Amino acid sequence: MTAIGKLFRTTAFRLTLAYLLIFALFAAALLGYLAWNTNRLINDQITSTVDAEMDELSDLFSRRGLRGIVFAIENRALRPGANLYLITTPAGQSVAGNISSLAPGVMASTGWSETPYRRLDDPDSPNHRALVKVQQLSSGFRLLIGHDLEERLRLFGIVSDAAKWSTLIVVVLGLGGGIFVSRRVLRKIDAITGTTRLIMAGDLSGRLPVGRSGDELDRLAENLNAMLERIEALMSGLKEVSDNIAHDLKTPLTRMRNRAEEALAHGTNEDEYRAALERTIEESDGLIRTFNALLMIARAESGQARGNMDNFDAAEVAEGIHELYEPLAEDAELVLKVEASAAPVHGNRELISQALANLVENAIKYGKPVTAEGGATAEILIEARREGDRALLSVSDHGAGIPEADRKHAVQRFVRLEASRTLPGSGLGLSLASAVAILHGGELRLEDNGPGLRVTLVLPAVTGEALAGQSGNVPQKSA
Amino acid sequence: MVLETEPSRSEAIQSRDVPEMRLLIIEDDRESADYLVKAFREVGHIADHAGDGEEGFALADSGDYDVLVVDRMLPKRDGLSVIGALRDKGNRTPALILSALGQVDDRIKGLRAGGDDYLPKPYSFAELLARVEVLSRRQGGPAEETTYRVGDLELDRLSHGVTRGGQELILQPREFRLLEYLMKHAGQVVTRTMLLENVWDYHFDPQTNVIDVHISRLRSKIDKGFDRPLLHTIRGAGYMVRDGMK
Repeated sequence: MTAIGKLFRTTAFRLTLAYLLIFALFAAALLGYLAWNTNRLINDQITSTVDAEMDELSDLFSRRGLRGIVFAIENRALRPGANLYLITTPAGQSVAGNISSLAPGVMASTGWSETPYRRLDDPDSPNHRALVKVQQLSSGFRLLIGHDLEERLRLFGIVSDAAKWSTLIVVVLGLGGGIFVSRRVLRKIDAITGTTRLIMAGDLSGRLPVGRSGDELDRLAENLNAMLERIEALMSGLKEVSDNIAHDLKTPLTRMRNRAEEALAHGTNEDEYRAALERTIEESDGLIRTFNALLMIARAESGQARGNMDNFDAAEVAEGIHELYEPLAEDAELVLKVEASAAPVHGNRELISQALANLVENAIKYGKPVTAEGGATAEILIEARREGDRALLSVSDHGAGIPEADRKHAVQRFVRLEASRTLPGSGLGLSLASAVAILHGGELRLEDNGPGLRVTLVLPAVTGEALAGQSGNVPQKSA
Repeated sequence: MVLETEPSRSEAIQSRDVPEMRLLIIEDDRESADYLVKAFREVGHIADHAGDGEEGFALADSGDYDVLVVDRMLPKRDGLSVIGALRDKGNRTPALILSALGQVDDRIKGLRAGGDDYLPKPYSFAELLARVEVLSRRQGGPAEETTYRVGDLELDRLSHGVTRGGQELILQPREFRLLEYLMKHAGQVVTRTMLLENVWDYHFDPQTNVIDVHISRLRSKIDKGFDRPLLHTIRGAGYMVRDGMK
């Protein structure tokens, strides 16, 4: 497409053309109305003066006869800018007046008509037109009184000149403005298009130029930039995940393969083969769990789990998870407690339960007091409560905690802080909890519990009315 | 994919107390299907195989099966639509859906389409067998008795009372529901995931042995101090309540 073609195709230019057409039609209508009205006004004026004079002169004729009227007409015809007069005999011969020629047949019919004429005193003048009235006087004489229409023609001339010039000005200014605006817009759009091409080609770090005018294009560019920011973050997240998958899934796969290979090469009896196979199944179960957790996180992060959401009390979730894990904690010589008050949330109950279960499992795994004899309580506390417009589900332990510098890192997938490398687990617990929180429009908060760690799922709370409408649907667990 | 070690399967065979079932396996992957047919026959059931949705529907519609095992993604006709069409014709044969889609919403979709249970791939044969046997019994057996009895253990579902040898046992509410579920399926293997789903109503996979701990608490209440254990661990599969092991 040529540059001109591109310019003509811009929205701004097309809009300009449309407006031009509308303005032209509007101007034409306005001028037309003006001309028609003025014409009517002029005609009215002419007819009323002619009518008045006609009454006056026919009255004169009836009182003073032909002589009187001829005298009056001769008299009046000499005035500058005078009306047109003509009086004829019943035979059609001119008696008096200031007209030398008329269109044929004008005098034959009475009433109003339009006709070309020439004046007696100015026989070389161009053929003018006039509006005339013919009236029959007594004894066969006919009187014509009329008025020149030159004024009307001049008016038409003025109007049509105005139409021509205004059309020209509108078109020139409109086209110029249109081209100016279109080019300005086109320049910005071209800049945006160029950058998007670069980005599509693979350079995700590119950003659209944002002008200083703050117009709609700049706002669009700003939003597109924010979108690019998000895409870049997602892409780098994806890359990080695939790196981590490569590392954390390849390790157990390698172990599995080595074990099978060794059993095949050195196995001597059935028991050894059996042991090797059992270990293989164990490893593959672990891998499946890791995959499931990864899929779950991916689903939560992509927002696909937004279906299946209903209103429920987070306190019930806290109590349910407490009930499920309390014996496990006891076996690990920890005391699992729950403090739950009403905290209505709108969400995916299953996902929130799983997130909380992960946090509790983490706390049981890592929450043992560092100084076993030192008096720190071996207690894990699950809390559910409402704080303003947020519902909080938290798990606090008195274990080693996570140093502040590591906390952000700990939420990422597969990250297992060095201290925990030796314990079993996929390293996905916190990232799943974080993904679930983000899915619900909340966040996962890691805090110092002095000593220990407090992890809080911050979820948006549901207002009282919304919950009341739904309360019948919340299944009550027999606790 | 579907591997299970020999000892656990033979152990399960020896100890289960389940009548012979006729199964229809609708699965397009030849290798998985052959494996399932062979494995079900080994544990004493009769298994037929259909390789696509149309054939599966025709067989299920005409044959007299106790349980259908239906893969969700099938050539010619989708597994969910096969089950839906059977239900529309009034065929209530219990159906277990196998699927590579294992998320909560997929499971709900499967159950809404008329499936009775949903098992994500990859699964262990022990898990599949346990679920299929529980489903089959649901069809005919006297499921809703008010009192369950296994040996000298009695559970009254109305009064929530549990006695063993006439001696009253004090159970927590959740322990009661756990025992109730195990006794309802007495003589059948019940897996950990089945317990988590049916007793706790959670459908996720805990990373820890949380169910085992609940079982061992329950066991200490119902078996401790009695010479015949009733709550047995089936290695590689799950648990079973039964009066004496063969």
